[in-house]
Amino acid sequence: MSKKSALIITGVLMLVGFAAWVYQFKEGLVLTNLRNSYTWGLYVSGLAFFVGNAAGGLVLSSLIYLFGVENLKPFAKIGALTALVNVTAAMVSIIPDIGQPLRLYNIFIHPKLSSPLVWDVAVLNLYAALSLIYLYILMLPDLTGRWQWLAIRVHNPKEFSQKLAKRLAPFSLVAAVGIHVITAWIFATQGAREWWHSAALAPDFVAAAMASGTAVVLAVSLLTYGLKEQYRQAYRTMSIIIAVSLFIHLFLMYNDYFIHAWYGAPEAMETLAITFHEYLWTHAFEVLAPLAAVILLLNEKVRNSAAAMIGSCCLLIAGILAHRFLLMPGAFGKIAFTINPLGLQDVYWPVPIASGRYDLALDTFVTEWHYFPSAVELAIFAGVVAFACFLIILAVDLLPIVNPEEA
Amino acid sequence: MRRGMVIDLEKCIGCRSCAVACKQHNAQPAGTWWNRVVTPGSEFHAVPPVKGREYFLPVHCQHCQNAPCEKVCPVDATYRHEDGSILVDFERCIGCRYCMAACPYGVRQFNWEDPQKSMQEYGYLPGYTFGYPQEYRLNGRLVYTPTRPKGVVEKCNFCVHYLALGLEPACVRGCPGKARFVGDLDDPNSEVSKMIRDKNGFTLLREKGTKPNVFYLPPRRKEV
Repeated sequence: MSKKSALIITGVLMLVGFAAWVYQFKEGLVLTNLRNSYTWGLYVSGLAFFVGNAAGGLVLSSLIYLFGVENLKPFAKIGALTALVNVTAAMVSIIPDIGQPLRLYNIFIHPKLSSPLVWDVAVLNLYAALSLIYLYILMLPDLTGRWQWLAIRVHNPKEFSQKLAKRLAPFSLVAAVGIHVITAWIFATQGAREWWHSAALAPDFVAAAMASGTAVVLAVSLLTYGLKEQYRQAYRTMSIIIAVSLFIHLFLMYNDYFIHAWYGAPEAMETLAITFHEYLWTHAFEVLAPLAAVILLLNEKVRNSAAAMIGSCCLLIAGILAHRFLLMPGAFGKIAFTINPLGLQDVYWPVPIASGRYDLALDTFVTEWHYFPSAVELAIFAGVVAFACFLIILAVDLLPIVNPEEA
Repeated sequence: MRRGMVIDLEKCIGCRSCAVACKQHNAQPAGTWWNRVVTPGSEFHAVPPVKGREYFLPVHCQHCQNAPCEKVCPVDATYRHEDGSILVDFERCIGCRYCMAACPYGVRQFNWEDPQKSMQEYGYLPGYTFGYPQEYRLNGRLVYTPTRPKGVVEKCNFCVHYLALGLEPACVRGCPGKARFVGDLDDPNSEVSKMIRDKNGFTLLREKGTKPNVFYLPPRRKEV
């Protein structure tokens, strides 16, 4: 597929997504499949997904400039670019979730400092700014010709760029870990939702993000530089990082489940049952797809084919997307307000919630809701994915992201 | 002063007048109920869990002292009034619904569409309106309005607009069983504090650590 047709396809998807959002802005969130009992869905999963994909910049910059893995250097700019694009997509993806988007300025003029959402807005913007600065510094030596006007004048651009990148690396490391931890805290701080209320969630977000973020960088690197002999070692390094991060993610996830399952409290068992019964196939996919992807990536034969590696990266990213989707059913599939009625043995009873929406087939007060995103939600989400792809393709095409002598 | 409520489950007859009075007085949009009365353990609405044995549990905002909804609100739209009750500023709310995810009691509700439109869907007569007809502002903040904007969250405001008139909340005034009491929980000699002490008052979801300002008195026996 040529660059042009990729730009056209992603451009059209972006426009469709934007049109869907305008429609939803006019009609209200009634166009989603959310309910009073199930308040967050694909849009919020999207936030977690894109934040995770933004981890690539961190992995690359810290490996190169803090741990001296020199062979990754050609991909540093791709890392910074995918980080910037994905963190932007994360912020864009959350806007459709807002019922009164025109009031968003309130976050800046009346921020409540106890809210993890306020911290997240701050740290996402900080990370976006840092990624932009990082990208600029790395591009500086190559800002010639038609980009000349963008370049600041320094004595030795190459040396200056390397020196500053090295200085920025620790800050970007802190900010990058920060976006995953704080995004996780949005969920993990909520005692009302047992599915999220776990000390394992924040480290798990970091681990899952290192896997998917690095997979994004690896896929884009393969698409731009191809499978050249001098890059094989770098691709292998990235594959190993993806694999190790994924194993840590799976360990943290199952460690959490195991502890709850062993103790066997009825509430926890009910929460686990949502993922392991109702969403068994999705759960199987979130585990097996990334697992298959890393087994493939660790295989030397697979690493002889760029297409196979890109396919593996996409499989892993799709698995992590399923993982992000599953943030919601476990939290909202069970009514938080479940009580043991006075005088009844071993009965755990969910207290019904006003559905808030007119539906002939639905009771006024409900205890369950099977959520699947509506067409509008899917169109908007697809639009944000397309937006991220569009920006990356455009930037790689226009800006000096790919080192000409190495491509 | 910490404004709180005691609901005596012994006296509650399950008539749901509080839910209706609350809905009417507070002009709640179609499908929105700040107040609900449930029959714990029942398989379906109002059906006794064990034949001939049931009790009723009215549930609305618990005005928690450790309110997760208040802490998560990114714009301070959900905030604590000086009397301890939790209010929502209809003009400030951005509709992120974080508070709804945070509230363990399921009392927060969202205006998924323009309430005028949902009224039509529910088949209300065109032009029919109900409820306290005026906006009410507390220190400039819009904590009650009969016409809700689309895309904001709402919930029980402890009838703060009636408090300004020296009136008890609608659910208290509308309760035929006289099961509801409002008073100062900080004052150990108030009627509500005494009731909680003498009649084993309890709170809902104690294990969540939310420290509600709404207490319940257990029924001595169940309806037969």
